[in-house]
Amino acid sequence: MFLFIIKRLVLLVPVFFVVSLVVFLIIHLVPGNPIDNLMRAGSSSAQRVQIAAKYGLDRSLAEQYFVWMSRLMTGDLGTSIIQGRPVGALIARNLPYSLQLGGAALLFSALTGITAGVLAASFHGTRLDDGISGLILLGSTVPSFWLGLLLILVFAVWLGWVPISGARGWTSLILPVIATGVGGIALVARVTRIAMIETARQDFVMLLHAKGLSPLVIQLRHVLRHALVPVVTILALRIGWILGGTVTIEYVFARPGLGSLLIRGLNQRDYPLVQACLLMLAMAVILGTLIGDIVQAAMDPRQREERP
Amino acid sequence: MLLTVEGLEVGFGAFSPVDDVAFSIDRGEILGIVGESGSGKSLTAIAIMGLLSRIGGRIVAGRICFDGIELAGLPEAKLRRLRGGRIALITQNPMTSLDGMMRVGPQIDQAARLHLGLDRRAARARSLELMADLRIPDPARVYDLYPHQLSGGMKQRIVIAMALAGDPELLVADEPTTALDVTVQAQIVQILVELVKRRGLAMILITHDMGVVAQTCDRVAVMYCGRVIERAQVNAIFEDPRHPYTQALIRCIPRRDMTRGSMQPIPGMVPNVANQPAGCRFNPRCPRVADICHTEIPGLRVSAGDHGVACLRADAA
Repeated sequence: MFLFIIKRLVLLVPVFFVVSLVVFLIIHLVPGNPIDNLMRAGSSSAQRVQIAAKYGLDRSLAEQYFVWMSRLMTGDLGTSIIQGRPVGALIARNLPYSLQLGGAALLFSALTGITAGVLAASFHGTRLDDGISGLILLGSTVPSFWLGLLLILVFAVWLGWVPISGARGWTSLILPVIATGVGGIALVARVTRIAMIETARQDFVMLLHAKGLSPLVIQLRHVLRHALVPVVTILALRIGWILGGTVTIEYVFARPGLGSLLIRGLNQRDYPLVQACLLMLAMAVILGTLIGDIVQAAMDPRQREERP
Repeated sequence: MLLTVEGLEVGFGAFSPVDDVAFSIDRGEILGIVGESGSGKSLTAIAIMGLLSRIGGRIVAGRICFDGIELAGLPEAKLRRLRGGRIALITQNPMTSLDGMMRVGPQIDQAARLHLGLDRRAARARSLELMADLRIPDPARVYDLYPHQLSGGMKQRIVIAMALAGDPELLVADEPTTALDVTVQAQIVQILVELVKRRGLAMILITHDMGVVAQTCDRVAVMYCGRVIERAQVNAIFEDPRHPYTQALIRCIPRRDMTRGSMQPIPGMVPNVANQPAGCRFNPRCPRVADICHTEIPGLRVSAGDHGVACLRADAA
């Protein structure tokens, strides 16, 4: 198990370099550049050359990549061209908001989704199952920004229970977490339900019933345990997504966050900022997958041995 | 009699894959239920376990009487107390019969803790004893292994230990050796026979292997298309088979003195549940078929020595 984790961590090094190269090329190859955003109307082309030289944009792509990488190795993420501040500081200021929202939404969708899935599977074929499955379908199709607006209207404007927007205090987190989490709930519930129904058809479950165990014990202690393996995969994949994928929610609720930071950077072609954000999100996705694999290996003895 | 089954009919939707099945079994006895795939053997076993509802079936008619308790229509809570306690199941495929995410020892413990009220330590001690009894080498080590770390034969021993953990009186063994290597099959059969004799258990041994039946069973019920077509002492079945299907089955047992090509397979196929022939269900494949076989359903007629045959033309040959 320990060896398995070490091996996977070592494998992350080449992945990191490939991802960094892809991230670097993507942003440099799209049309437009940060200089356009810095130039004021009527600026001369001499000024343009001067600015390009200041940020090293006049050098070849290979050179620029090398400079970025060598700075990155020393922990320097560079300086935002447009905002003029260290990228590290910008991320550090936005990251906690994203972690709060993402973490809470992930937890919320995991707990609610698994509960809904267990209920639907345990009452498979009944009205309760139909009801939950209907809600799941609704939840997976409702756009989160629209749901966010609706929630604001009802709970903030009409009822006045929570703040309309902003990120002050934990009450301001409730609506964004619900709006972000609903899609996750639907996904988790669907996977849990199907995995449980399929597990329940296996021979060993019949034999558990033949032992006289109660259906509740069988569902929760045996069937759910098997069903959680694919659920962990889904949740792990969402770790990365939830850090950067809540952009629309951040806009709707006027919350700071990595998503908004990245979008602003993209619009302004702020190379250092975009590169750092994308690299971080990509690594979050990869780390999420790794965590998922480790949790799965801890849960399932068969996987533990297949990948020593 | 410990268990008496009478006129059992199992229904799935509009179909009855098991119809008018009757047999009985007493303590210390092994009853063989023989038949091809799809003859309703396993469904009969599931019906006795009270687990039909798990696979969408139900008991339509008939009685399953276990030690004076009527199982058909017994509430689930009462069935559950019998299941794994007084009646235990051994399933066909040990590869899929164990929970792959749980150590095998605690899987044996479950029934003992549930039905005998043992605590964790007492159940563990009992499981280790059972494992040693079933000739599992080094039980204390095997106890902590996962199913995938064991061979097929060992897994089947664990399944048997699981069945014994609740101290049952009746074992329902549904093709306990089918999925195993031939050499292991003999060991498992031997273990089961020993258990029955030593502990005075009753065992229903479901199989399609006439050789196993000849070696182990006291009495035999032959099933075809969901019906018992012949029922007798094991000697009578082999020495004086009266139903043409039983006769054909016995001709299919390979013998050492057989010459190449002398094996006589039964012509035709087992008909589909949804497409049973009228009258006797064996009539399309029967060498002795007459007009009456297409119109009348033969019931089991029992003659001297408790030898029952469901054939309208049993006396014709």
